[in-house]
Amino acid sequence: MFLRFSFVSVLVLSIVEANAELDFNRDVRPILSTNCFSCHGPDQEARKGKLRLDTADGAKKALKPVDDPELIYRIETNDEDDLMPPPDSGHQLTGSQKEVLKRWVAAGAPYDKHWSFQIPRKKIVTGGTNAIDHFVAKGLKEVGLEMSEPADRDTLIRRLTLDLTGLPPTLAEAEQFQKSGDVKKLVDEILASEAFGEHWARMWLDLARYADTKGYEKDRGRNIWRYRDWVIDALNADMPFDQFTTEQLAGDLLPNANVDEILATAFHRNTMENDEGGTDDEEFRVAAVKDRVDTTMQIWMGLTMGCAKCHTHKYDPISIEDYYSFYAFFNQTEDADRGTPVMATPTRSQREEIRDLEMEIKDLDQELKARPEEFQSAFLKWKTKIGEGALWRSLSLRGQETKGTELLQSADGALTAKGELPEKDTWILTFDLPAGQPLTALRLDALTKKAGGKWKDKNVALRELTAELFVDGEKSRKLRLTNPRADFSQKGWEVAKAIDGSTKAGWAFSPMAAAPHVAVFDFDQPVTGGQLRLTLEQEYGQGLIFENFKVSVSNLPPSWLEAEVDAKGGLESVFVTHVYGPTREMSVRLEAARTNLEQVRRAIPQTPIMRELSVNRRRVTKVHRRGNFLDRGEMVSQRLPEMFGSLPEGFPDNRLGVARWLTDPENPLTARVMVNRIWARLFGKGIVETEEDFGMQGAVPTYPDLLDWLAVDYREKGWSLKDLLKTIVMSKTYQQSAKVTPDRLAKDPRNALLSRGARFRLSAEIIRDQALATSGLLTQKLGGPSVMPPQPPGVWKSTYSGEKWKDATGPDRYRRGLYTYLKRTSPYPALTTFDAGSGEVCQIRRIRTNTPLQALITLNDTTFLEAAGALSKKMRSLEHGFRLVLVRSPLRKELVRLQALYSTMEKHYENNLEAAENLLKSAGLNEGNAAMVTVANVLLNLDETLTKP
Amino acid sequence: MNVQYEKVRAQTRRHFFGQAGLGFGALALNQLLAEEKGGVGKGVKIPAKAKSIIYLHMAGSPSQIDLFENKPALTKFHGKDCPEEYLEGKRFAFIKGTPKMMGSVFDYQKRGESGQWVSDLLPGLSSVIDDVCVIRSMNTDQFNHSPAQLLLQTGNPLLGYPSMGSWVNYGLGSENKNLPGFVVLASGGKTPSAGKSLWGSGFLPTLYQGVQCRTDGGDPILYLSDPKGMSREARRKTLDALKDLNEYQNQHIGDPETLTRIAQYELSYRMQMSVPEVMDIGKEPQHVLDLYGAKPGFVSNVETAADPRRLYKGDDPTFANNCVLARRLVENGVRFVQLYDWGWDHHGSSPGESIDETLPIKCQQIDKAIAGLIKDLKQRGLFDETLIVWGGEFGRTPMMQNNVNSVLKPGYYGRDHHPHAFTMWMAGAGIKPGAYGETDDIGYYIGENPVGIRDLQATILHLLGLDPHRFHFSYQGLNQRLIGPTDDGQVIKGILA
Repeated sequence: MFLRFSFVSVLVLSIVEANAELDFNRDVRPILSTNCFSCHGPDQEARKGKLRLDTADGAKKALKPVDDPELIYRIETNDEDDLMPPPDSGHQLTGSQKEVLKRWVAAGAPYDKHWSFQIPRKKIVTGGTNAIDHFVAKGLKEVGLEMSEPADRDTLIRRLTLDLTGLPPTLAEAEQFQKSGDVKKLVDEILASEAFGEHWARMWLDLARYADTKGYEKDRGRNIWRYRDWVIDALNADMPFDQFTTEQLAGDLLPNANVDEILATAFHRNTMENDEGGTDDEEFRVAAVKDRVDTTMQIWMGLTMGCAKCHTHKYDPISIEDYYSFYAFFNQTEDADRGTPVMATPTRSQREEIRDLEMEIKDLDQELKARPEEFQSAFLKWKTKIGEGALWRSLSLRGQETKGTELLQSADGALTAKGELPEKDTWILTFDLPAGQPLTALRLDALTKKAGGKWKDKNVALRELTAELFVDGEKSRKLRLTNPRADFSQKGWEVAKAIDGSTKAGWAFSPMAAAPHVAVFDFDQPVTGGQLRLTLEQEYGQGLIFENFKVSVSNLPPSWLEAEVDAKGGLESVFVTHVYGPTREMSVRLEAARTNLEQVRRAIPQTPIMRELSVNRRRVTKVHRRGNFLDRGEMVSQRLPEMFGSLPEGFPDNRLGVARWLTDPENPLTARVMVNRIWARLFGKGIVETEEDFGMQGAVPTYPDLLDWLAVDYREKGWSLKDLLKTIVMSKTYQQSAKVTPDRLAKDPRNALLSRGARFRLSAEIIRDQALATSGLLTQKLGGPSVMPPQPPGVWKSTYSGEKWKDATGPDRYRRGLYTYLKRTSPYPALTTFDAGSGEVCQIRRIRTNTPLQALITLNDTTFLEAAGALSKKMRSLEHGFRLVLVRSPLRKELVRLQALYSTMEKHYENNLEAAENLLKSAGLNEGNAAMVTVANVLLNLDETLTKP
Repeated sequence: MNVQYEKVRAQTRRHFFGQAGLGFGALALNQLLAEEKGGVGKGVKIPAKAKSIIYLHMAGSPSQIDLFENKPALTKFHGKDCPEEYLEGKRFAFIKGTPKMMGSVFDYQKRGESGQWVSDLLPGLSSVIDDVCVIRSMNTDQFNHSPAQLLLQTGNPLLGYPSMGSWVNYGLGSENKNLPGFVVLASGGKTPSAGKSLWGSGFLPTLYQGVQCRTDGGDPILYLSDPKGMSREARRKTLDALKDLNEYQNQHIGDPETLTRIAQYELSYRMQMSVPEVMDIGKEPQHVLDLYGAKPGFVSNVETAADPRRLYKGDDPTFANNCVLARRLVENGVRFVQLYDWGWDHHGSSPGESIDETLPIKCQQIDKAIAGLIKDLKQRGLFDETLIVWGGEFGRTPMMQNNVNSVLKPGYYGRDHHPHAFTMWMAGAGIKPGAYGETDDIGYYIGENPVGIRDLQATILHLLGLDPHRFHFSYQGLNQRLIGPTDDGQVIKGILA
């Protein structure tokens, strides 16, 4: 890293020398900021000698006397006590840095507001060239270079497709483009593909610190993938960035916010939560809110607020009061490290299904209510046929054995316990069964208990119900009750438990104990005549026994008999649902639709979202001294950091106002930060290399005018990401060949001036997706819950969390890397080794590394072996295989070398049949050509394959 | 040939090898500093006392009261209510109301010539106690496992910061270019609470993150083994082809990164040899294995158990095996070897996590191994260049934990988390044996010479030859340091030889 900065400073110095004119922001401020501001900057507490050098006023003292300014003496003296920066500070000025400072002081020490805090202006570009090319060509000319020749078509289509969708082009697409050469059309097609949103979502999810678990010790799963899909959809729809911003930061505060707008606020619910036993929820709520503040400033404005949570920032003018005042905006949401609030966030297909089902239910319901023409006469006929009797006939009590309760029967058949209910009892009750038709089912009506009395709880706990049959002269016979159903059961006390042979639980109905309830059981064999003996075990205690109830039986088909409290509609509804053909068919459909709807509704993911506290519950925000949330200082009210003024007139004074302010034309940073970020994804590094820091300590832009032009253009054209990308990729600058020539390497060693096409290792996800796509394994499915592709066993061994990694076997084995389940404390190793993050904190950019561990993955990991296997099957020839991976045709010598490898391996495996079989198995194949698998493995590991062309 | 071109190319290539990081040994800070033109980083490197470090982290945090802190006064109050003054305004993880005081469950003796108190649970350590500096005055400000482990290992209680090992790896690199500079070994059946974040690289390039070497029967390093059916010979042939094809690419495009790629693949091939070799503790003679109590090839059933705690056995050699391995790794030039042993969180609220039953078992697992490690390093002359650190992430309370049992019951003796005072020890390179710091009569607060987490970190960096105050990485506009932004952390001079 040090090395990188030294290259930047060399570059800057060469410009200074070439250009006699000093630019304060470009040439002077970086020197002061790095070497002086930590003691002579904005932080009052750290300030030494009451001198500050970050403002013109503060510096006056050091610039006296005019003919021999103190500042110059201090940097040039040999006296170690006076020398600045002090020798023990670890800072030291170079000769050329001193020279710059001297020239600056000689010119009257002109100050200028830090460049990134000034509102960007668009310089008019004349001559009809693409503005990007205008600025770049000018920069190259200054060092005596010109742009490289355009890349050839095969290279260009591979570059465009990888850059814009994260996937390689197909050969068919490449052949078509080879013929047409129509770049504009190609770009439009690529931008319209769904893979576009998936690819760019990855960038945003790094920023949003998206993960599938909550973090810390338990690191349990969290359902938040609907947010990931929201991002994909928003990007595919090219949602303008100002709207994209507002919905994520404050969608819940929009007037009449819809589900999607609120779902977007899951963005800030990606913060971690600590489920470890014995933790203080407030501590981790505060940590989450601070993370939201830091992340917001980082992503939109490229500024680090983080330092100011403990002390006033040493380099940028952000005070600790600024920090907590801004924090106050975010300190008013309901969430408090406990998972809630969550919201039902149906997917598009769930929403469609629900809409269709609801419509179907409504239609069927209406149709049913209308009753067909013939209905009435058919009903009357039927009623006559089965007799006027109701569905149920209540039974008369013949005998009772209890431990003290006395039951009385009234005329309507209801049984009532006399006097005060005992704490518990078991009743053995005998009833006469009506003779005649065979009886099919038994019904138990739990009627309401009267108010008052000894027992407050009006629930009943029927722990066990058994039935026996007595027929004159015969021994009693146990009756098996089946198909238990009730209109309502208490959780854990479902009616089935009343006939399960155990008294552990039974049928009860809290918290709906005040209402009457019904249970129905079928006799497993129809019963005719005799006496029924029921045993009702109600020994739970606390008076949870029946006070008013009724026992009835029916002789109708059990499927007609539902556990409905109000059986008045009885016969007609049975006729409609079960007997009369036309309505029965509709009823079946209606029932199916209702069940379906219920299932779909239950499957809707619940996503954590932001919700503002009601006015009476709003929190008071105080400064946390030294960042310690237990050490509260002065009270603050919500406002922007002072250096940015206040929220514009008419903006709401809450998160929504902050969100709008971020994309306001007067905001100097957001557009710059965003275009720089997009630029960096395409060119490997930003115009401002320190994407994460646009403050005083950040790098200066290599092409300031270009950055500003892009920023203003992006905003003026309505914040369209697709437009921005198109503007960039249609430039000559982007389309240059990546070939490195001696002259270019000498004059532009790191390609900072863009004298050639950018060439760098592809990202973790692209490397995976490309292998799957070129081999034909890739499952192309948009969105859905995260998946678990193969991972070496034993990687997950997390404390206490019982969750297990289970290698997917179906299509989910080959989804894009974006969908891989991300556990924060144990991320997917094949991705993190290629610098993917763990989603713990906002990751502004991934620092690219090259390690041997990466080579081991693309050579040996199951996914890459299976890709090699599939590719070997797909290859019609060596040349075809080469083109499947790299698009271009191989050079002759490349083909010769592949041929040689193939022959060698063919011989090798002919002599080692068992090894051949094993290799095929490792590559997920039952049969195939092992030698070709090794060739495919090589193709997937070529430098060119792993590198952006 | 264009001389200027070749020169720049070589330079750029070195740049990529160095900065973008080729291999493990390439990126030592001193090498970068040599090329650094500005003043940044000057004075970071200081004379080193230790060449490498073996850090033994007992995840969950062992009870200092039952191992190192002989407190007769506490024993006197055993079973009595804890005085209110110790509870007022304190936050505990699990203790509710007024708990009972609980003296050490085990007996103490004065050990070695130095006469340090060590309980009967650690006879092995007692035999080498004169080589060890016991720090009795550690303290932290975190009282939950995950944040406390993170603070200790990364300098920040939140997730996402570089671990001590990756800092050291970044600053010093590895002495052996075929092995990672920062290796992690875990035992006890679980990874520690904060998971792999404890050896993550945070904002440092991922090159510096810890590489977990596994001893549970799978690949020692993930993906290290060639697939079945791919012999060494076959692999060599495919890599030869890959190398040639990449060489053509280099001729065609001329990007120095292609050369990096070629070297990267060659290094991975060499690693496939060197890692299993160094990981094979079966190569050690029997008497060395016996010194540690190690058993090569042993795979413990706790490693795959859902809850390993009830399965712990005193003769489980997994930790001992890891100690042998640690010695082999530092012998081979690995800079930072981190052992995590899980299962030290003895709350006494369920079986397998008590002071009276589980702590003795855990001690058996580590005690002989640690004594063996110290003796073995000494007999090889490595003790003077290797720093050994032992401890948990915080201490345990002098009171019993009372949220499950209100009275003491065998198998359920437990103590809650205690951040205010606990014990760690250091030994080896640059360390003056003896004792440092003291606690009060009942071991609740520190009596003298408090040592904070940042002091410990500063001391470790110092011994390894990095100035803790100057050693930094510029990120997000700040010079980020392991010891944090303030200068609270200071080298503990009193323990230095």
